[in-house]
Amino acid sequence: MDPFEVRMQFLNLLRRLNATQQSIQKVVAFAVKYFKPCGEDLWDCIVEECQKGSINSRINILYCLDSLCEMSLLVKSHSNTTAHPSGNNQYLDFVARDIGKIVENVVPPGREGLPNLVSTRQILESWKAKRTIDPQIIDQILALLSTRKQQRNDKEKDKEKDPSRKRSAHLPRHEIFKRIEEDRERHKRLRERRWVQPISYNVPASQQLLTFMPFTERGDGEFELSIDVEFDNEWEATSDWNEDDEEACAEENALCFA
Amino acid sequence: MDRAQSPSQIPASTSKYHKPYFTPEEVDTLSAQRQLRGPQEDKIRQKACSFLEALGARIGFPRRTTATAQSLYHRFHLFFPRKDFNYHASSFFFADVALASAYVSTKMHDTLKKPRELLAVSYALRYPDLVAKSKNPAGEVDVDTMDPTMVERDRQRLLAVERLLLETICFNFTSKMAFPYVIKIGRAIGAEKKLTKLAWRLAVDSHRTLVPIEYPPVTVALASLYVASLLLSLETSSPLHQESEAQSAQEIRTLLSQHGDWEKKFQTHVEDLDGIAHIVLDLLIYATTTPSANTSPTTPSSPSPHPSPRNHHHHLSSGHSMNEPLPYNADQLTRLKIHLRELDHKPRHRQSCPSDQSADDTS
Repeated sequence: MDPFEVRMQFLNLLRRLNATQQSIQKVVAFAVKYFKPCGEDLWDCIVEECQKGSINSRINILYCLDSLCEMSLLVKSHSNTTAHPSGNNQYLDFVARDIGKIVENVVPPGREGLPNLVSTRQILESWKAKRTIDPQIIDQILALLSTRKQQRNDKEKDKEKDPSRKRSAHLPRHEIFKRIEEDRERHKRLRERRWVQPISYNVPASQQLLTFMPFTERGDGEFELSIDVEFDNEWEATSDWNEDDEEACAEENALCFA
Repeated sequence: MDRAQSPSQIPASTSKYHKPYFTPEEVDTLSAQRQLRGPQEDKIRQKACSFLEALGARIGFPRRTTATAQSLYHRFHLFFPRKDFNYHASSFFFADVALASAYVSTKMHDTLKKPRELLAVSYALRYPDLVAKSKNPAGEVDVDTMDPTMVERDRQRLLAVERLLLETICFNFTSKMAFPYVIKIGRAIGAEKKLTKLAWRLAVDSHRTLVPIEYPPVTVALASLYVASLLLSLETSSPLHQESEAQSAQEIRTLLSQHGDWEKKFQTHVEDLDGIAHIVLDLLIYATTTPSANTSPTTPSSPSPHPSPRNHHHHLSSGHSMNEPLPYNADQLTRLKIHLRELDHKPRHRQSCPSDQSADDTS
C-alpha cells in the first residue's frame, strides 16, 4: 500500500473508533504494523482527529492511545531481547512530545471538557505509575489540569452571579447514554488492569536474584527496572507502622507459633 | 510420557486442616518424606522459581502475586512428591505445578489471569523458537495457533493440580505478605531508602526459599532489613557503597543483631532473624557460585555504574550475554555467615501448631 492509502485506511479506522476493545485493537494493530513506513504520518492523523471530533470521540482516542502505548512498550521490550533490537520507541516518543496538546483537546477548558476530566486523569496517573512516559511530563500536565479546575471553580462562582450568560451546548441525549455505557465498560477494564506492573522480557539466568541487580531510580527513565518502579510506588503509598499492623502481627504470630 | 500418574489417580484429600506456617523441623520431616533433599532438589526449586519470576515479569504481576505463587509451589511439594508431577520431558517439567500455583495466586491477590492466558505466556517462555516464528511484534504466542489437543490437556492438568493445591491450603485465600512491612518497619527504625530498597529485593528473593512459610511476614521483613544492613555494611570499594550509607547500615546492623525494644514492638525475636539470615545468605551464596549467573570477579566489585536497559540486565540470548560482575562474592557472604555464628543466637524452640492433625496421609 502506498502512504496515501495507508493514511486513508487509518483515518477510516480512527473515525469508526468506539470504546470496544475490538475497535481499539484494530487501530493499534494497524498503527504498529505501519510504524516503519508511515509512523509520523499516522501520528499526525491521531492528533488531528483529536482536534476535530466530538468530545466523546476524543476520549475514545485517548483510551486508544493508552493501548497504543502499552503495545509500543511490549514491541520495544521484545525487540530488545531479539538479535536485532530496533532501538525505536514506536509511538512513545510522539506521545511524550505531544501529550500536552492532546490533553488540551481531550479536556478543553471550561464546561465542555468536564466529561473527560476524570478519565483523563485516571489514564495519566496510571501512565505515571507504570512509567509509560516520563513522570515529570505527566506531573506537569496534571498540575495544569488542577489549576484549570481551580479556575473553573472560581468561574462557576462568577457565573452564579450572572444568570443571563449563555450556557454552553449540551450533548444530545442518546450521546449521553452511549457515553455512560462506554465509560462503564472502560472503567471495568481499567480496574481489571490496574495491578499490572511494567512488563519486562528479560530471560533470567537460572539463579538470577533481584538482590544482585543494579539499583535504578526514577530518573533513569526507560532504564528503571520494574522492581524499582514497583518499590517506588509502594514507598509512596505505604502508611507508617500503626495499630492495625500491630494487630495483624499478633494474629500472624498466633498462627505461626504455638 | 507415562512416568507420571495422571493427577486424578493421586489420593484426594491429604491435609484436612489449614496450616499457615510450618516449623523448620516439620519442613525437614515432610521434605524427607517427599524426597525433597539434596543439591538436585535445590536446583529444581530455583528453576521453578525462576520460571515463575519470568512468567510474572512478562505478565506484569505485582510482587505479591509472584511471591505467593512461589510459596504455593513450595507448599505443594511438601505434600505431593515431585516425581508424580514431572509430566514434561523437557527442562520445564515443573510447569504444571508452577502454573497452577500462579493461577491460585492470581485469585488470592485479585490479579486475575485465565489459565489459557497463563499457558500462552508459558509457551512463549518454553518454546522461544515458536515466538520467533510467529513474528508477533510483542513476542506473544497465540494459543489458538497451537495444537488444541495439547493446549486442552495442559489446561486440564493445570486445573487438576489447582484442585490439589487448594486442598493443601484448605481453600484459605488469605495471604499476608512481608513487602509492606519492609517499608513500614524500615521507616520506623530509621533505615535509609536505599537499605529499604535492598531489603525489599531480599524479601522478594526470600520466596525462593521456604522462609515465608516458616515465619510470619513481620519477622521476614525484619530479617530482610537485617540482611540488607549486613550487605551494605560490607567493606567494599564499590562506588555504590558510600560512607554515610555504610554508617547508617552499620547502625541498623547493630540494632537488629541484638536483643532490644524492637523485639517487643514488632513482636519478634532476634533468634528468628538470625535463623532467616542464614538461609537467605545461603541462597545468595548459592547464586554466586552457579556458573550461569555471573562472570569471574574475585575482587569485590560493584555493578556497572552505567544504568542498563530496562530489565535486560541478565539477559542471555546469544551474543547479548551481559558480563556484569555481581555486587557480592561468595567469600564475603561466607564471612558474613561466620560473623553471624559468632553472635551465637541459638534458634528458638518451636512447637508444632496444634491445628493440624493430618499433615500427611500420603505415602
